[in-house]
Parts: sequence; structure tokens; C-alpha cells
Amino acid sequence: MSTIKENITEYAKDINEASEDERIRTAITRAIAAYRKNLAEALERYPHTPAMAKEVKEIKRAANARWPELLKQASDSIERNHGHAYFAKDAQEVVDIINEIAGGKKTIVKGKSMLGEEIHLRQRLSASGHEVWETDLGEFILQLMDGRPMHILSPSIHVPREQVAEVFSEFFGKEIKPDISEEVMAVREFLREKYFTADIGISGANAVAADTGQITIIENEGNVRLCTAAPPVHIAVVGIEKIVPSFIDSMKVAEVNWRYGQYTAPGYVNIISGPSKTGDIEKVTTYGAHGPHDFHVIFVDNGRSKMIADPVCSDAALCLRCGGCMYECPVFSLVAGHFGKTYMNGIGAIWTAFVDDDIKEAAPIVYNCLRCGRCVEQCPMDIDVPTMMYYLRTHAVDAAKK
Amino acid sequence: MGGKQLPETMTLIRDNIMQYDNPLAVSAKENAEWAADLHLPKKGPVLFYTGGEYQLLPFMDSLVTVMDIVDPGTPIFGWMMSMRDLVHKSGMAPEKIFASVFAQDKKRFFSINRKAALILKALGYELAYDGENEIYSGALLHELGFEDALGEYAKRVSSFINNSGAKTVVCMSPHAAEMFSLIYPNYGDFPDIEVKTFVEMVHAKRDMLPKNFYRGLVTLHDSCRMAREMDVVDEFREVLDAMNVRYEEPFRWGKWSTCCGGPIKTTYAELSHKLSQKRVDELAATGAQIALLSCPYCLSALKGAKPTNHIEIMDFVEFLAKGYDL
Repeated sequence: MSTIKENITEYAKDINEASEDERIRTAITRAIAAYRKNLAEALERYPHTPAMAKEVKEIKRAANARWPELLKQASDSIERNHGHAYFAKDAQEVVDIINEIAGGKKTIVKGKSMLGEEIHLRQRLSASGHEVWETDLGEFILQLMDGRPMHILSPSIHVPREQVAEVFSEFFGKEIKPDISEEVMAVREFLREKYFTADIGISGANAVAADTGQITIIENEGNVRLCTAAPPVHIAVVGIEKIVPSFIDSMKVAEVNWRYGQYTAPGYVNIISGPSKTGDIEKVTTYGAHGPHDFHVIFVDNGRSKMIADPVCSDAALCLRCGGCMYECPVFSLVAGHFGKTYMNGIGAIWTAFVDDDIKEAAPIVYNCLRCGRCVEQCPMDIDVPTMMYYLRTHAVDAAKK
Repeated sequence: MGGKQLPETMTLIRDNIMQYDNPLAVSAKENAEWAADLHLPKKGPVLFYTGGEYQLLPFMDSLVTVMDIVDPGTPIFGWMMSMRDLVHKSGMAPEKIFASVFAQDKKRFFSINRKAALILKALGYELAYDGENEIYSGALLHELGFEDALGEYAKRVSSFINNSGAKTVVCMSPHAAEMFSLIYPNYGDFPDIEVKTFVEMVHAKRDMLPKNFYRGLVTLHDSCRMAREMDVVDEFREVLDAMNVRYEEPFRWGKWSTCCGGPIKTTYAELSHKLSQKRVDELAATGAQIALLSCPYCLSALKGAKPTNHIEIMDFVEFLAKGYDL
């Protein structure tokens, strides 16, 4: 097993190299300017948002404190809606459940999900023999490049159009010009066929309402809408920290989430309660009308319950994944997602420590944080990253003694 | 204590603090040189506290320079570290010897404390300063996560302050101010003191400050600790207003100020330099001739950067000293 010192040395090489990459610098500089402008405009148009963020913080805090109870309530609601609910303690259990639902090697279309990234879902399902396609444009680019996301909302933020054209030209076997519209169209044509021939669609979720069992998924591209509607089976993979008591609560979570994700209003907000159904013929409810006939929700722990129970890092579980903190992080502005693993930035260092459950591995990221606190100013959940970072450093020092 | 598991710079800093009350084993006597002829009383209600932090920086910078030149994986660095263990027994730290070779800004950093004390004196404050017994604030133990050591060190700091008889402690470094006001009170029996930064002390008597001594344009760099932890933002501006000094805010300022990169200087030196460069470019983009700040670590980090457009990085004390002809 490598030491913290060795891990830091190795990590330093990577970030030093990334900090020399002009493409990253250019892409992130543009993205930061756009984010700040868009957020300012969104908050000006919807000035109620900061107050709603405070409310959401309390909703989520209270919900996390009683997550086992809300998990049961949400699961019961989903079953009542003729869906199926599961609890997976780790990545392997998620894959086992999906394989059991699949019942053999299948074609799977997948929407973007940070939890999916966290547990390497595409790679694990591919290893199980499934044909898996990422449908979010950024994720699709990274799948072809065998790369990893550099931002949680804009995973291929570091890849300029010229490089996309090269990757697409090789994959599609024809020349794709470095024209963004042409690139988008090429993917649209390719994936459209996949949506309607896939056996399973997989998505994440931004919020789950325990009282109604409804899951909410925010998106812009429309790929999630297709993933969750076209294939005969829809599986949602959701962290336990996404459950809130009521449908109204989940809508508040969603609005704050997309607003700080710089969307004045997102392209689509999908709300799904259960399998597709119709009662149009003789009022007999029949499942699997136009949409999926099977709906499954897998609630995942993978370190979350430990985080929620932690005396210092509990609030890290409030993270909405809006990505706003990244645009205010000086380190991120130089090295993008190299400052992190699956999760990035200061908050990402905290999440890495819990979901990987290995402080020695997380230590390089934990020590890379400046503890400058500007992310806290941006965070709609006001997560005190600097304090948590000190706490995790004490854990790293303790681990180094062993 | 996990010495081989952690980067040497981290354990070196911890061990020196615990053994010598200073991250690089700079002696209290040396740290107090600047005050030799000021004859400040050792005890009093208002304690001037340097924590040796401005004095530390030329040595720290030199250490980082050594680290930049000597890769921690090379035999030379290993030799330096093994020397440390040997020389520890004789009561000296070789890092200091090494660092001293590279020290360049010693005079400048040491003089900042002297100028600060003279300015506060001119404003009517009666300061006490116990240089011989003053110890480092312990901020780096906190920064690096050495909780056990910090618990023990808190008692030493507590004892030093209790012995001073101070009711108010004026901190030259916002990192020390943060330790005294926000961190140490969580460690049990810490004295109930009023903690003030230099900027706040000057702000309280800003009407007495010299006026119109600088006609150029300045900008301000708010340190993270000062702006976001200590909430000292407006005071800085109001002092400039009181002296009729024109200033232009950088793109990111106050609670949104951009970090100087200093906090990761000992673990990720190369990235730290690039962050400093970026911040200096933000400051230079204002068109100001001088960027003012009030934090030894920010001063150390930003002065090393080479701005695209010329701008002088200056401690607030140095700037005020112009008005007093110090």
C-alpha cells in the first residue's frame, strides 16, 4: 500500500502537468466567466432563490437525519406506484441488482449521474457483458476518449470542439468538422437508434419525494427524457441523501439545484412516479403503455450514511451537485477536475474520503485544498469546507501513524 | 509519528514547532531583533504579537526554494533530512542553516514589525512586546492537521498570553488572529482576550493618520483569513479613504477575494506559484501601481509572482510607513 507521501508526489505530477495545459486554462476561463454571468442574471430574475436555498438546507438536514425512515417511506411509495425499490450498500450490490433485473446481457442507455461515475457504473456493467452507451453529450465524448469528467455538470468542459471533431471522425468513420452543431447532430443520429433498441435505460435523480415516491431529474439535452421513456425498463440509481419528505420539498430542491447550476430554467424537469400505464381501454390499468413497463429505483449508501452520521462532515451530504463552487475555486481554475477524483474541489475531497473510504488515497486532494473558503461563499448549502478539510487532515495524520 | 508516511516538509514543520516553538526553529531572540532599541515593556494590557511570522517568511521562502531546486526524492534532500535528526540533538536545526543561505528578504520582513509598532505608537497605543518569550501562533499545525500537537501547543500559547497580562492582543498575521479568536477557544482553557488585527487598530484611529502622502492608484488584496474568517473588509477601505488614497478594487475582492496560493506552498509549491501569478495578474489588471495587503503569507506568495503588467506588492504597514517617513 502506498504512503500519503507517495500519493501526494504522484498527484503533484498530475496537477503540475494539468496546470500547464493551455486547453484546460482556456476552457475553464471561459466557463467561469459564463457561469458568473449566467448565475448573476438568474438570481436577478429570480431573487427568491437565496431564501429558498436556506429553506432547502434545513429540509435536507432534517431529511438526512432520519434517512432510514424516509428510505422506507420512499420505498413503500415506489412499490405502491407499481415500481420496485432496492437498497444497495455499495457499488457491487448496485451492479448485482441491475444484473438480476437485466437477466442477461443487454443494451443499456445511460443518463449522466455522478453516482454512476462514483461507482464506475458504465465500466462495471460493460465488464458484466452489457453494451452500455452514455447519452449525455459530454459523457459520450468521454466514453469515446476513455477519459474522466472534469466537471460534474459539464464533464467534457476541457475538450475543445477541434478535439471532439477528431474523436468523432474516428468513431463514426467519416469526417466530422469542428463545428459544434455538426458534432451534436452526429451524436443525435447515432444515439436515437440506441434509445429505441435499448433494453434498459438508467438514470440518476436530483431528488426523491418520500411521500409520493416521485423522482425528479433535471436535464437540458433531452437525453434523460429518452433514456427513461423509450426502453422497456427504467432503472434509477440514487444516493440516499437525495430523499426528502414531500413532493413540494423535492421541487424546492430541484429549483435551487438548477438555479445555482446556472440554469435560469432547465430544458427539462422529469418527474417519474412509476412504470408507464394506461386505463384507456375499459378502465383496466395496464402497465407498459408508451413508456417502460418496469420501473426500479436503487437507493445507494456507499459511504453516505457514514458521512451523514459524521460529527463534522455531515453537512457535506447536503451538496446539491450544482457545481457552483468549482467556478470559484482558484485551484480548479488552473487544473479543472484534476483537483479531485470522481468528485472535485474541496467538497469533492470530502466526498472522495467517504465514498472511497480511504483517507490515504484522498489525502493528496485534501491537502491540495487552499482552505480559502471562497467555495463557501458560493455554496447554496453553505457547506463549511475549510473546517471539514482540517478535520480530514487530522484523519490523514492519524492514518499516517498506522 | 508517521514521519515516513507524510511529506518531509510537513513533519519538519511540526517537529520544529513542537521542539523550538517555531516552524523553522528560528530563535525567539533572533525574531525579536527588530525591537531591540524600542524598549517596549514586556507586559501590558495591549500585547503586540508577531508570532515570528513576518520574520519566518524569508526562511520559509528559502526552504521552498530549496525544495524547488532539490526534489524531495533526491539523495540531497534525504541527506538534509537525516542531518536534521542528527543536528536536532545538538539543539540546532539545519533547515535554518540551509535556509539562511538563500534568505534574501530578511531585512524587509523584519522591518515590517518595527514599522507597525512605530505606527501604532504614533497613533497613541501603548504596546507591550515580549520578544524573548514570544512563540509562534501554531497556525501551521492547524493548517496541516496535526491535532494532537495542536492540543499540546495550545497550552503553551495560552500560558504565554496569560503571562503577558494582556487584555487585547494585536496580531500582525490574520492567521494568528484566527487561531486566537476562532480556533484556540475550542481547546479548553484559553484566555478570554480581545483579538485585533493591525488593520483594525489603525482603523480605530484613522482620523489621526497622515493624509495625501500618496497620489498614485492602489488596489487591495484581501487575505482569505482577514476577509472571510475575521470579516475585516470595510476597515481596510475606510483607512484608505481617511488618508485620501485612491484605490481600485480588483475583479474579485472582499469576501470574494482570490487566494494568493500561499497555503499550499509547502506541499504543492509549483501550483502555489501559478496561483500567486494568477492573483497578481488580477491585481495588476486594475491599473494600480501598488497592491496592498495585510498578511505575511500573502506578501510572501504574491511578491514572488511576476505580473504581466507592473505592480508593486506591498504590505499595508510598508505603505503607511511612507506617510510617517519611516
